[in-house]
Amino acid sequence: MNALATGAADAIEIRNLVKRFGAFTAVKDVNISVPAGSFLVLVGPSGCGKSTLLRMLAGLEGPSEGEIAFVGQTVSSGAGGVIADAGRRNAGLVFQSYALWPHMTVAGNIAWPLKVARWPREKRDHRVKEVLALLGIGALAERYPAEISGGQQQRVAIARTIAPEPSILLFDEPLSNLDAKLRIEMRSELMRIHRATGATSVYVTHDQVEAMTMATHVAVLNNGRVEQFGKPIELLRNPATTFVATFLGTPPANLLPARRVGETFVFNDTPLAPGSIAPGHGEVQLLYRAEGVSVGAVADKPSVTARFAEAAPIAGRTMVTAMLGELRITGMAEGYFSAMPGDPVTLSFIRTPDAVFAVSGERITQ
Amino acid sequence: MTFISTFAPSGGRRLLRSGFVMPAILVAIVAILVVAPLVRILLSTLTPAGIEAWQAVLVSPLSFNLWWRPLFNTMVLGFGVASGCLILGGFLAWLVVLTDVPGRRVLALMGTLPYMIPSFAAALAWGTLFRNSRLGGSAGFFETNGLAIPDWLAWGLVPTAIVLIAHYYSLAYTIIAAALSSVGADLVEAGQMAGAKRPRIFFGIILPVVTPALIAAASLTFAGAVANFAAPALLGLPVRMQTLSTRLFGMIETGQNERGFVLALLLIAVSALFLWMSDRLVSGRKAFVTVTGKGGRTKRFPLGTWRWPLFAVAVTIGLLTTVVPVLVLAASSLAPQSGALFSNWTLHFWIGEGGGEIAQGQAGIFRNPVLIDALWNTIRLGLVVALTTMLLGLALAYTIVQRRGSLLATILSQLAFVPLLVPSIAFAAAYIALFGAPIGPLPSLYGTFALLVIAASAHNLPFAVQSGRSVLGQISADIEESARLTGAGLLRRLFAIIFPLAIRGLFAGAILVFVKMVRDLSLVVLLFTATSPVLSMVAYRYAAEGFMQFANAITLVILIVCLAASFLAHGLQNRVQKWKES
Repeated sequence: MNALATGAADAIEIRNLVKRFGAFTAVKDVNISVPAGSFLVLVGPSGCGKSTLLRMLAGLEGPSEGEIAFVGQTVSSGAGGVIADAGRRNAGLVFQSYALWPHMTVAGNIAWPLKVARWPREKRDHRVKEVLALLGIGALAERYPAEISGGQQQRVAIARTIAPEPSILLFDEPLSNLDAKLRIEMRSELMRIHRATGATSVYVTHDQVEAMTMATHVAVLNNGRVEQFGKPIELLRNPATTFVATFLGTPPANLLPARRVGETFVFNDTPLAPGSIAPGHGEVQLLYRAEGVSVGAVADKPSVTARFAEAAPIAGRTMVTAMLGELRITGMAEGYFSAMPGDPVTLSFIRTPDAVFAVSGERITQ
Repeated sequence: MTFISTFAPSGGRRLLRSGFVMPAILVAIVAILVVAPLVRILLSTLTPAGIEAWQAVLVSPLSFNLWWRPLFNTMVLGFGVASGCLILGGFLAWLVVLTDVPGRRVLALMGTLPYMIPSFAAALAWGTLFRNSRLGGSAGFFETNGLAIPDWLAWGLVPTAIVLIAHYYSLAYTIIAAALSSVGADLVEAGQMAGAKRPRIFFGIILPVVTPALIAAASLTFAGAVANFAAPALLGLPVRMQTLSTRLFGMIETGQNERGFVLALLLIAVSALFLWMSDRLVSGRKAFVTVTGKGGRTKRFPLGTWRWPLFAVAVTIGLLTTVVPVLVLAASSLAPQSGALFSNWTLHFWIGEGGGEIAQGQAGIFRNPVLIDALWNTIRLGLVVALTTMLLGLALAYTIVQRRGSLLATILSQLAFVPLLVPSIAFAAAYIALFGAPIGPLPSLYGTFALLVIAASAHNLPFAVQSGRSVLGQISADIEESARLTGAGLLRRLFAIIFPLAIRGLFAGAILVFVKMVRDLSLVVLLFTATSPVLSMVAYRYAAEGFMQFANAITLVILIVCLAASFLAHGLQNRVQKWKES
């Protein structure tokens, strides 16, 4: 709420951030900034440095190089270490393990940070009731953390974090310990809370679906580096690298290696695209989304024959995956489709490639 | 782990019976081992002679000396030792687990060692250094070297408490350290995020979370101190400082069995009362389960300039309670004059022939047939008790786990934990009450090796059941069932799956029982006779008669046996379960 009021400066600005643990570099030269009220999702496979980045934002780790600024105020830097303490940067963190204090009741857990912040008793009690109601856990106030379920613990952890009204909310894979149904429920819940509090949020996950549904801004991390940063639709539409292209999106997109033969790019003897899409390149990788690959032969469109592997019905259509040697190709069939594993399936490429990448993985702009 | 159902189709009836026979046998064993002695000792004090003893102890001119004074001393010792242990053990645990003190592994190891050293070793070492000439006999090291030692530091409550703290603080350390390392870094960091400063986090989060462990540590060290016999006997008896356990020993030794039994019951009541109260305090909703974070990470606070000074303090504590007593004992066993520890060293007390001027002509311990006998007896006792204890523990744990929720399981597990509430010397008294006289056609077991084994097995029962359960806990039902789905028979599963997984736990438990038995004094002190001597008893006798060098030498032998067993166990463990090397 406070953050919305402030003007020009971005709510979070990360400049040239580097974090080294001994010889290992966990975070490499990260630059991200988001305006107040954004929902930034850091997404990537495990070990990509996203949690380290979040802990630096929280002030639990100091950066090795670079700077973090909240609303124009430098809170951490490589030179100065943790300048503003974890508790003094008006940020709250929801831990993956929830980190509820086992010796305090639910209400006690929520009230303690307020006590530390010297809120007067009346205001404190009022606020505890308010967040309990916001999360729908008023009935649990006098229980101990060990006496409630995982989903309820999750709600308590969120309530505890938002109680002091921080202007920045940090989430460390908060839904990873919940079952699939609860996860979808809590996802909407978190978005509701984000809207209700207006706090700028940073959310770490390895689940690209969470990233795509919740984010206003997404940073895809891989090996400590930001592969691409932008709005979710932008990343889907214009992936900068093969990593982003294959990591985001459901169903996963196909990447076919192709070789230039004369004026055409050829994949396994099948001519796919004109050579003009990547002038000067001998070998490229062509990106086809599943919706650009049709099951069955289509007149005038290039096609390959692969071995059927699996099929999954999605919204009236069927997502079909087939193997061509070691390569998985996913396409869509109209209606329901099924076959025996190993059966030959014809896959047609009904659109031009959605993107073209160099062998090294970078996008070749057309 | 349900073996029975496998066989159900073929031999259902037979197994139905064995499914009943086994628990019935176990109930009978536990009843004989635990319930019978306690009932018997209670009944013995309800006879006319017993009632008289109650009156003598509680309401008579004698009762001040028989009961109130020893009770007061016992309480002072209990509270003193418990608080000392909490301070020392808590300090070390905090240092090792929650700070960036250098040499953490070394400190952690040093924190666990004193418990391996028998408390009478520390008591003997204290005597060797601090003994003063008030009681005649040769003075200790300090006084001989011109440092006058006041009585309160040489004898009585203060040195007894110090020696017991030096012994039991490592128990407190182990419990508190385990609790502290269960406080996940996330809990602390959540506090930091709330803006709390270090003291606030310590008192607001860490301390409350480990409070149950602190209470457990306090009550266990309290019970240990109250039950201890060796330290007050060696350092207190010469100046007539009596605790309940030494009083109890004195009564039975002088043939006043009924009074001894009354004191034993009172001692049990005192010890059980405190253990029960502490259990009340930490049970129920307050027994929080900590949800640990990623990989059980713990937060280590930087100590800054205090790193090395605090390290030095911790190392000093460790050295004073482990290395120094052992060195003192070793030097003393070589020095002909007990005050001059480091001069005229001789091997006389170890291997010397008798008849000389030293030690009133007594031969060295390795020429003493009683000692060789005692050494053999002690090792035999340790091995036999380790075996019976672990077998019994496994059988009990298996029955309890399998019949979880049934009345039988509840009764068995409750009964098996009763000896925890009974100080070992009182337990020994109960065994005298039961087996001191022939029972029907059975001869009196008093003074036999068998009685030692039975009493020791019963005394170790709580530990045995606990380690049996943890061993069984290592083998999840899934593992056993997946082996069964491959079609492997019971024996095959037993040898290929269960045994390899259980062996390490069984072995570790057996070694602990062995060490406990080898260094035990308070249980054997009443049950021992000339026909079944054990090392600790021989050492105690020598010390009581003033032959300190002999006593110290035998104590060293005990230490060496214990250490050898521990090292052997460590070596073997890594050999049997290679995948668990740590």
